[in-house]
Amino acid sequence: MEAIKTKIEVSNKERPPTATDRVAVFEARDLAVSYAGQPAIAGVNIDIYQRLITAIIGPSGCGKSTFLRTLNRMNDLVPSAALSGELRYRGIELYGPGVDAVEVRRRVGMVFQRPNPFHSSIYDNVAYGMRILGLKKDLDQRVEKALRSAALWDEVKDRLKDSALGLSGGQQQRLCIARAIAVEPEVILFDEPASALDPIATSAIEDLMHELKRDYTLVIVTHNMQQAARVADMTAFFGLEVEPDGSRYGVLVEYDETTKIFTNPSDPRTEGYVTGRFG
Amino acid sequence: MRELYSTELEELERLLREEGELVDRAIRGALNVLARDDVDLADELIAFDDEVDRRYLSIEQGIPSLLARQTPVAGDLRLVLAILYVNLHLERVADYCVTVAKLTKLAHGLPRDAGVLDALEEMGERCREMLSTGLEYFSARDFTDPQALIDMDRPIDRANRKLIDRLIALGPDEPRREWAMRMMLVSRCLERIGDHAVDIGEQAAYLVRGEFEEFTDASHKTPRPAP
Amino acid sequence: MSDTSSAPFSLRASGRLRRRQLVNRAMGGLALGAAALAVTVLAIVVISVGSRGAGALNLDFFTQSQPQGFNPKGGGVLFAIVGTAILVGIATLIALPLGVLVAIYVSELASPRLARLARMALDITNGIPTIVIGIFVFTMIVAAHGQSAFAGAIGLAIIMLPLIARATEEVLLLVPASQREASLALGVSRWRTTLQVVVPSALGGIITGTTLAIARAAGETAPLLFLTSLGVSSHADLNPFHPLQSLTLVIFTYSEQGDPGLQAKAWAAAFILMCFVLFTSLASKLALARYRKKLGG
Repeated sequence: MEAIKTKIEVSNKERPPTATDRVAVFEARDLAVSYAGQPAIAGVNIDIYQRLITAIIGPSGCGKSTFLRTLNRMNDLVPSAALSGELRYRGIELYGPGVDAVEVRRRVGMVFQRPNPFHSSIYDNVAYGMRILGLKKDLDQRVEKALRSAALWDEVKDRLKDSALGLSGGQQQRLCIARAIAVEPEVILFDEPASALDPIATSAIEDLMHELKRDYTLVIVTHNMQQAARVADMTAFFGLEVEPDGSRYGVLVEYDETTKIFTNPSDPRTEGYVTGRFG
Repeated sequence: MRELYSTELEELERLLREEGELVDRAIRGALNVLARDDVDLADELIAFDDEVDRRYLSIEQGIPSLLARQTPVAGDLRLVLAILYVNLHLERVADYCVTVAKLTKLAHGLPRDAGVLDALEEMGERCREMLSTGLEYFSARDFTDPQALIDMDRPIDRANRKLIDRLIALGPDEPRREWAMRMMLVSRCLERIGDHAVDIGEQAAYLVRGEFEEFTDASHKTPRPAP
Repeated sequence: MSDTSSAPFSLRASGRLRRRQLVNRAMGGLALGAAALAVTVLAIVVISVGSRGAGALNLDFFTQSQPQGFNPKGGGVLFAIVGTAILVGIATLIALPLGVLVAIYVSELASPRLARLARMALDITNGIPTIVIGIFVFTMIVAAHGQSAFAGAIGLAIIMLPLIARATEEVLLLVPASQREASLALGVSRWRTTLQVVVPSALGGIITGTTLAIARAAGETAPLLFLTSLGVSSHADLNPFHPLQSLTLVIFTYSEQGDPGLQAKAWAAAFILMCFVLFTSLASKLALARYRKKLGG
């Protein structure tokens, strides 16, 4: 009986050892975001890897969504938001001069907590982005492809002209995923994608993410640890740092392979959070 | 937080500790049976095994329930898994004690050799020591030196081998031979108890360090280098 | 399960509860009464105008032009109706796009301070007496170029603008941020998001606001006194650069005449105007309902 020895060196708690087959899509160095002067996250160093699912977990207020939104420059929409540090996407500084936020968002898509389809038909929802981008040729085929990728085609193929609002919550969320896929992004961000859904719809979304992983890089924020454990390859735990003056902001406490985080985390704060002993 | 969960975990560990204490008494009891050649004591010991079995079953039932309902992770998960394995090891040790008692009963009335009996007594005490050390490491979550346990196991193996030689030397005459064979089995039981004690130590290490590592196994005489 | 308390168990209304129920009913009655009062007032207006005006209504009234000279019998207000249509039409063409754009600016693009300033400006404009607006446009345009329907339309547009802008802004704000976010996250620019997602969602409110503004503009008299009162409705004139008559002016001038025949005509014109307002209100509600159904929302 051979001994099974799993040796994981954690030389740097925040960045896992670079396996030779991992390619970093996002690289954050000393990233910090504040709203109206109040820090929300600080000192974040992390590499997000291509075609893996990375989960961001942590208690409320630890800045998970804030971090996620830096990846597609959605924080730009909040006038009081300020960002410092570096964030590179494929080597390009995302917040550098000459970078168009709209272009960024085309490549880095997002699916939100509550499904938010447009008030139009299923077809029009998926076609929306494509039409605006001028991808008008073979629209029907592209719509079908997107809906298939989102595991929704079979359920809606006979009613593409019906209103999107007539779909169930889980179907609407998959429609939003199809809509995001339709513009052919490279990365898809999920902000608590299943928290508004029942367990069966949640399972469907999780299976879908597993499929999507083959072609896209996925980053998901979730407050459901079991979901992160089920779905993610890498898990990042954001904890709350409390200053003496009472202000709190989020820091990246530990980032590692999901198995490690959930069987033998290095940081006691991570252990405290995943075991549910400390919120 | 998670009061109920913590309580359940503590309860499982408490049962395990109790089981450990009972097993310790069982080993001592088996050694006494052997030393005194006491058949009544042997029967008592065999009946005593029920106490161990009770705790064993409680833990065996408690663990799936806890796993399903509370989904332990990280340190808690390792604790539950370690409890699961230590439970099995303890139960096996208790069974071996019963086997020793039964063997003694079967060998009752046969001519005995004091040297062999002394050697067996020493082996047995060593095993007790190892077991209690392993269990102590487990409850204290203190695992600074695995070497100590490994060092304790070696003499037992040596003693076992020496004993075999000595038993063979007793000669081929009939009642002696039967006794010798029974004692060989007793020795084997004690040696196995020692192995289980080492296994318990491995579980303690896993619990504390988060990595599972075998100290020694049949194919490797010397332990692997520590990480 | 036996009840061991001393009082028998009952769910009937007890002391306090009865008083509460009575108060509930009283308040309900009061509210109903207020609603009935509002409806009654409307009914009274409609009926009084209608009874006085319907008498003078006949096909001639609609299809003939203003009687020449002192011939009070016969003749109609056709061109006054046409004039009102042109005035309000041009005013809407000016005020609607401007109003929607202002609303988009205020709700989507402006900083909070500028937005507050703009809103305040709109509210003040809304409150300016229309006669003052009339004088303003008079000095701006009529003094130099003479009266015209165009000037009248501008005056009406100034009156309509705050109504449309405010109504539009309110519905734009009602469009949930999640819709905007969804579009933006797809890599669509803000401007296109506003045009293709936000405005269509808000269309219902925009239609309602515009309809109300139209109804209001159609009923304005004071500014038109300065701007287009010299309009003659005795012959066909569709040129917006000439002054044109309007229904409201007709009501004004006819009711000032001593002739009871003309006065009756004034009532009739008032009746027409009122019907127009009622009609547009109902029509816009219908359109809104059907639009909602189409969106499935």
